[in-house]
Formats: sequence, structure tokens, C-alpha cells
Amino acid sequence: MDIATINVDKTLDTSGLSCPMPLLRTKKALKEMSAGQVLKIIGTDPGSKKDIPEYGNKDGNEFLGMQDVDNGSTLYFIKKG
Amino acid sequence: MITFWSSIREEFRRTYIKLFHDSWPAWLAGIFLAILALMIFLWDNMWGITGGFRNWGDNVFYMLGIYSEQPEKPWLSNMSVSNLGLLLGAFGVALMAGQFKIRTSSWYEHLKGLVGGALMGIGAAFAAGCNIGGFYNAIGMFSMGGYAMMIGLGIGAYIGLRILIWEMMNIPQQSLPQMHSTEMPGKPFINWSRIAPYAGGLVLLSIPAAFYLYAVSDRVVLGGLLFFGALIGITMQRARLCFARAFREPFMTGNADMVRVIALSLIIYGMGSAVIKFNWLQPEMAGVYHPFWFGSLLGGIIFGIGMLLAGGCGTGSLWRAGEGHVKLIIAVVSFALFNSLGFAALERFGIREKLGSGVFMPDVFGWPFALMLYGLVALGWALWAIWNEKTEKFVIF
Repeated sequence: MDIATINVDKTLDTSGLSCPMPLLRTKKALKEMSAGQVLKIIGTDPGSKKDIPEYGNKDGNEFLGMQDVDNGSTLYFIKKG
Repeated sequence: MITFWSSIREEFRRTYIKLFHDSWPAWLAGIFLAILALMIFLWDNMWGITGGFRNWGDNVFYMLGIYSEQPEKPWLSNMSVSNLGLLLGAFGVALMAGQFKIRTSSWYEHLKGLVGGALMGIGAAFAAGCNIGGFYNAIGMFSMGGYAMMIGLGIGAYIGLRILIWEMMNIPQQSLPQMHSTEMPGKPFINWSRIAPYAGGLVLLSIPAAFYLYAVSDRVVLGGLLFFGALIGITMQRARLCFARAFREPFMTGNADMVRVIALSLIIYGMGSAVIKFNWLQPEMAGVYHPFWFGSLLGGIIFGIGMLLAGGCGTGSLWRAGEGHVKLIIAVVSFALFNSLGFAALERFGIREKLGSGVFMPDVFGWPFALMLYGLVALGWALWAIWNEKTEKFVIF
């Protein structure tokens, strides 16, 4: 899937937060969303590169992909299942 | 001939990517950790982290004139040297992987690092060790205190997670401080991302060089501790091996991966340690001093809350500090200072003797039953976590 074409319904900025807060906030954000909606997460913690993709495929959700950006952040996309 | 050299170069490139770019599988790191801890046990004594942190804190308070007795210098204290090795190994390999970066956070996150580090320091003073000395190594050394701390860490992680959930629901997320760019427009003068892997290589090469210097100064044991500590730092950073995760995830997402890894690592460590102790290659009571049961349990609870707030345990804070996380650097400093103070307070007020004493499992159960029990607890922990992963019975959020 081309990340540039994903329609995002909600954005969560976890910049500056470290383990486990990015994952905890991702879980909370997904709970507040409806099935089929897409969550975009902005993160700076290198641990999230392992945690978020793993969690993104749990509970019927779908991890759509991730992308590093120039300012050192990483973008993650999860579709709520 | 050209094909020969190009194939060598290709193989070198592939190995480099596997070692320094791709993450290592956590299970492999768990096996490496057990082997390296056993090597340290054979080389010198039980591996530990807290004693090194305390040495740093003791030195700070001595320099400030608060302590009258001069502690061992950090580069001559065994646990301090293995900690420095761990930090250097993680720093060097993070540079090579392009993962080193000074990562600041909001003042609030830094405060959590400070408080979390303080709680870890105090908890480790009660339990006579952190997640390594008080739990992982204690269990590996057949010290009953390790099991009491394991229960304490579980309770502490549960309470710590409840605190983080409350915080998330009630305290607005603090934004990052606005960084004013000092970069000049145009092409940067130095391209740090290209230099970092070479700098990392130099840092890693300095470790065997330091080993040699220690050896020629008649301190070969310290050189070996620095070397093994560095290998542990490299292993933990590359696989992001995290003890805090093993205690937290069953309550947070249900993920059982890290519990599997630590349980596997403990089984290997225990087998090796049993061989060493049974054959008297090291004394049976080596590493058996944990205050069973009260000190270990209470220390585990306090430590568990602290590691959740800080976002890293004894080792996790150290290798993440090596990656440049300011919050974890603060946590390490706070851990060192509060452990030194906590340890001194327990001694001064005569509390230490009331917390419990070291109990050697085979003394209580005999070797055959102790070994069986050892394996059953590790296996039972992993099976519980796997069952919980599927049912989410213990997931609280």
C-alpha cells in the first residue's frame, strides 16, 4: 500500500515520549475510533519501530505501514478493525 | 580474482547489515545474555548493575563532602566497570546503526525519569539489586530472594501501569520544547549521519584496547568485565532487550514475547550456574545474599513502579542512555544517587538485617527438587504469559 495515498482519520503525536507511552496512547486512540478508520501516529522513540507494528496487527486491527521522515520522526499507520 | 574480492565485499556488507542495521531476534539476545552472564560469573563473580550505580553515587557524595569514607574509583570498581562497558557497547553500536541521537523530551517526561530513577535506586537498595542483581541473577544463582523480587516486580509493574494510565487520562500531554535551529542554510559542514558509523566503530575498537590496557596494568579482571559488559550492551541494544517490558506487557497489551525470552534466558542461565556451583568452580553461596523475602518483595514493588515511570529498568536505562535518551540519562543519575543514599540509610538505621537474608534454594529443597522447581517456575511464567496473550485476562487497559 502506498502510504502517501492513505486517508487519515485521526493523528496522534507522540514526539518526545518514550516507551511505553507511545504504545499506551496508540491503544487509547484506537479504542476511541470506529472500525475502518485510519490512525496516523508520529513518533520519535526508536522502540516504537518494533512495538507499534507488532501491536498494529493485534485485536483485528491492520498495520498499514511506516515511514521515516526528514526531521527524525517516524510515521505509522494503523487501520482500526 | 575480481569475483573473489567482490564476493568477499558482498558478504562483508551483508554481515554488517545483519549485525548493525537489522534488529537481532530477542530470543537470540536472551541466549547471549545468559551465556555472557555465565562468563562474567566464571571470570569474576555474579554480574550486577546496582553495585556500579551505587559506586557512582558514593563518589559524587564523597566529592561533595557528604561521605567521609573514600569509595573505590569508578574505573577500578568491578560492577562500575562492567556498567561502563555496557554503556560504551550500547553507545558504539547505536552509532554504527545510525540510532544514536540526543533525544530530549518535555520537562514532565524528564521529571518522570528523575522520580522513576529515584524509586529504582531505593527499590534496589531494599532488594540488594535491580532487575539484574536482585531478580535475573538472583534466580540464576539459586537465591530465593530472586523469586520474591519477581513477584514484587510484577506488583510494581501493575501499579506503575495504573499510574501511567491515570496520567494519560488526567494530565494533558506536555509538548516538546521548541528547538531553535542553529543550522546554517545550505549544505551542512559536517554530515554526522555519514560519520556516525565510523565513530561507532572507533568506540567499539576502544573496548578491546581498554581491555589490553587493564591487562598490562595488572588488572586483567577489570578489563574482562569491561569487555563482557560491552558485549551485553551491544546485545541488549541490538535486540532492544527489555526486562520492564516482560513485567509490563502482560498487563498492557498481553504480548508475551519478552516473558518467553527472559524465561528461556533464565533456564539456560540456571543450567550453567548449576554446573558451575555443583562442581565448586565457584562457591555455592556466591551471589546468594538477597534479603529473602521481605526486602526483595518490597524492593521489587518499589523498583517495578520506578521502572514503569522511567521507561527502563537497570539495564534498560543504561543502554537507552547509550542511545542518547536524556530522560534515561536523568534516570541513571537519579538511580545512582538515590541508591547510594538508600543503601547508606538502611545500613545506618540497622534496617538491612530486618529485611531478610540470603537463602540458597538447594539448601532448602536439595539439588534435584530445586532444579525441578527452577525449571517449573520459568516454564510456568512463560505459559501463563502465553495463555494471557490469548485470553487477555490480566490486561487492564
